Amino acid sequence: MSTTLIIVLAALAIIVLYTISSYNRLIRLNISVDEAFSQIEVQLKRRSDLIPNLVETVKGYAAHEKSALENVVAARAKATTATTFTDVAAADGAVTQALRGLLAVSEAYPDLKASANFLSLQEELSTTENKVSFARQFYNENVRSLNQAVKTFPSSLFTSLARVAAREFYIVDDPQNRQAPNVKF
Amino acid sequence: MSAPNFRALQASNQRKTFGLLAGMAVLVTVVVYAALTYFGRGGIGIIPVAVTISLISVWGSYYSSDKLVLTMTGAKQISYDDNPKLFNLVQEVCIASGLPMPKVAIVSDTAPNAFATGRDEKHALIAFTTGILDVMDRNELQGVIAHEMAHVANRDTLVSAIAATTAGAIALLSDFIMRMMWFGGRRDNRDNNSNPLALVASILVLILAPLAALLLKSAISRKREALADATAVAFTRNPSGLRSALEVLARDTTVVHQRSTAVAHIWIESPLDGTSVSRLFATHPPIQERIATLRAMESNPE
Repeated sequence: MSTTLIIVLAALAIIVLYTISSYNRLIRLNISVDEAFSQIEVQLKRRSDLIPNLVETVKGYAAHEKSALENVVAARAKATTATTFTDVAAADGAVTQALRGLLAVSEAYPDLKASANFLSLQEELSTTENKVSFARQFYNENVRSLNQAVKTFPSSLFTSLARVAAREFYIVDDPQNRQAPNVKF
Repeated sequence: MSAPNFRALQASNQRKTFGLLAGMAVLVTVVVYAALTYFGRGGIGIIPVAVTISLISVWGSYYSSDKLVLTMTGAKQISYDDNPKLFNLVQEVCIASGLPMPKVAIVSDTAPNAFATGRDEKHALIAFTTGILDVMDRNELQGVIAHEMAHVANRDTLVSAIAATTAGAIALLSDFIMRMMWFGGRRDNRDNNSNPLALVASILVLILAPLAALLLKSAISRKREALADATAVAFTRNPSGLRSALEVLARDTTVVHQRSTAVAHIWIESPLDGTSVSRLFATHPPIQERIATLRAMESNPE
């Protein structure tokens, strides 16, 4: 066997190994993004499940805050039927806003705030709101890694082979989003 | 250090840890070289002995660290119903970091403190004193939990085990050689270089090496603490929570009752008296410096 042949074979082996590892990395990153998205959905479902209880509790003390209550109910209904990525994100933003509005009006009702039901909901609501927000952040962090791999050379060479493309960030239309992890009631 | 953000801080602390571990490797080489200079080839047999003893003693505590530390600190493992708020907070940080849920334990002690241990993320354990749960609000606790989970994510139990093994091996080695000097003197006089300067230098190296290893080990521990602060911010994107938690710890004058140096390095705030331990040997960076770094991150989020 000539030296040239050995060099060519070695170069081929390196290329094949590199292709495999790049391919696998892209697939892994893509799966992480999917997993991160299902985590968002899990947390959104949890929040959805808390809302009826919250609405009933607030109604008992502040029944005439109709618009705030209806906003939450309507936003929740929309969120439960959302299926596509953009719909889920938009509905999530609407629920976040509506909940914040409802909690803001609750501030004016000391009896409500002191009620046992509301107090027990309080911890649940803060942690759920934080979990939703961290799940969004984790998703975006994963999209960031994936997009970096998809768009930078040389991993960008293998995107069509792995059928992996850059993904969209999960953006919730919410002016207060930057402070979302510190919800205080 | 102008305008630090958590990504830059994480990278720089990773680099510094690597540099310090490389320093440890150089130190080992120097010690071995000094031993060979003094004893000739005859001394080489003790090197594997020292490394093995050190490995065995550290590896056991590394492998079962989650169980061992429970007994050493008197921590009690708890479940969700014992403290739903604490579990919720830990779950939040798990979602933010993508780490699996660790075991959670409570140490009955009024001094506010916390620690993380476990050989990998699947065997992680984080513990809190009853004091820290009493004095800190939700936001501050979230910062503390993020710092502890950052230790888990950065595999700091492993890093400190490696540092401890190397420092231990160096100490044993220099101890062995010193004893051999007392009893046997130099074994192989014929083919040894008898340059007196080289001999004096090798004795000096053997005396100073354990001290240098200890300094390196402490420096590694401090870099890992700084790294954990930066990683915690990467998880929560909220430097003010951890910053205000550290301010609470700085104001607090009580210390955790056990002052065993064996587990001192694992707490978020050093339980050892700051004045008695010099800065060079400290396992943690000065708390005011950590607060200042976090404050700088608050003004520079990304």
